[in-house]
Amino acid sequence: MNTHDWSLVLFTILAQMSVGSFVVLGIVHFLVARKHGAEEADRMSDRALLAIGPVLVLGLIASLFHLGNPLNAYNAIGNLGSSWLSREIFSGVAFAVVGGVFAFMQWRKLGSASQRNLLALLAALIGLVLVYSMSNVYLLRTVAVWDSVLTPVSFFTTTFLLGALATGAAFVANYAYLQRKNPGCADAQCVLLRKTLSWIGISSIVLLGVEFVVLPLYLVYLSSASSAGNLIAGSYSTVLVVRLVLAFLGAGLFGAMVYRNAVSVGREKAAGNWAYAAFALVLISEILGRFLFYASHTGFSL
Amino acid sequence: MTEQMAFYFDASACNGCKACVVACKSKNQLPVGINWRRVTEYGGGSWVPDADDPTRLLPNNIFAYAVSISCNHCEKPICTEVCPTAAMTKREDGIVVIDESKCIGCRYCEWACPYSAPQFDAAAGVMTKCDFCQDELAQGGSPYCVSACVMRALDYGELSELRAKYGDVSAIEPLPSADLTEPALVVTPHRHAQMSGAGTGRIITMAEEG
Repeated sequence: MNTHDWSLVLFTILAQMSVGSFVVLGIVHFLVARKHGAEEADRMSDRALLAIGPVLVLGLIASLFHLGNPLNAYNAIGNLGSSWLSREIFSGVAFAVVGGVFAFMQWRKLGSASQRNLLALLAALIGLVLVYSMSNVYLLRTVAVWDSVLTPVSFFTTTFLLGALATGAAFVANYAYLQRKNPGCADAQCVLLRKTLSWIGISSIVLLGVEFVVLPLYLVYLSSASSAGNLIAGSYSTVLVVRLVLAFLGAGLFGAMVYRNAVSVGREKAAGNWAYAAFALVLISEILGRFLFYASHTGFSL
Repeated sequence: MTEQMAFYFDASACNGCKACVVACKSKNQLPVGINWRRVTEYGGGSWVPDADDPTRLLPNNIFAYAVSISCNHCEKPICTEVCPTAAMTKREDGIVVIDESKCIGCRYCEWACPYSAPQFDAAAGVMTKCDFCQDELAQGGSPYCVSACVMRALDYGELSELRAKYGDVSAIEPLPSADLTEPALVVTPHRHAQMSGAGTGRIITMAEEG
């Protein structure tokens, strides 16, 4: 694997995390607003929303380091008719712009709530198109190790797993911020945090389940598709084991701890700490997994 | 008017001397690490115990041959399909060329091409590739690799004519299946050549700098 591929690891992970966070945050906001009113929902999610922008921008900047000639970068959307890479860049920028406009309007409460909801829905759809394009970039008929349905499945799993856990961590940070002004677990935010975290704990366990179904299939597929399977089983086997252990600990065990602490009153702090730790472990695990994904394309030796 | 320019390679004549690689490198002033034409050696087979004396080993099916490949200017080029900038295009005569002034150096074509034809020039930050010596062709000349081949193992011309003259093989090991990109390439197989996908050998090219 070339060092320049690290910029792609960062870009794809950060962009997928942004899309996942945006979608998960949108779902949580929608459900909370319906039950507890828009004001409580905004208090809970506005700060988290503002955190997504910098993550996405960081990812887009990282992608530029992948280019040999970044000065020409504007050409990258020159082949939308046939290149999934063009479509990826285009939807990435579109997601940043539409999501950014929405975040600004939501922050300043510009426009009506329904106008903002419509814009958010549009941004979320563009985000999902981005992840779809991103996985299609790797479905090359000449690269057997990538050209399977497992690529989009794993990209979308990463998107929602990181999205859920990043959103959980952001809620915990937001709650800690609100607590400084208003200590104790007397208000609606405390109840909402516990409820949301318990669902995020469950979701992360379910998504881990998906990963643990996909991964063995992927390894079997790899060993049949090319010698890359041996590479993953050989020189990178340590990385693979570390990635799996971190995913299991983070999304599985820590996810369960988040759930356990979130369902009992008065244990918000513990639930929050487990949520932070789960996010950190899964983030590292996903980065290692993406590294292996790129490393599995060993190049052509002609 | 040419519809699809193509290369012909005679694996039964090639001795792996790499004069084609050197001629191409010289003509196009290619830096170390970039070779628009490459010679890959492929070999296999094994040793078996002598039936009369099992402590003795006899050679069995040991084979090796060389394959000289540049860009195959494919009929279904994946590089032009995936290039995000449309810097990679297929001309009317079938030659696939890159406009380096448009290229962003993302190296996506390098990932996609199973022949390693597009190659990254780190100093310039862009991809480079074989252009079929189009300047030579315009003046009635031949591609340098073809002219330089001491074994007369290389030829070029209109694909349909080469097919009529030399047959329709275009995928021997270690080349990928021709279905992927439909290379404008005609090959006369070496007598030990194995067809793509049915190979029992491996690439045995020695590492070298150049």
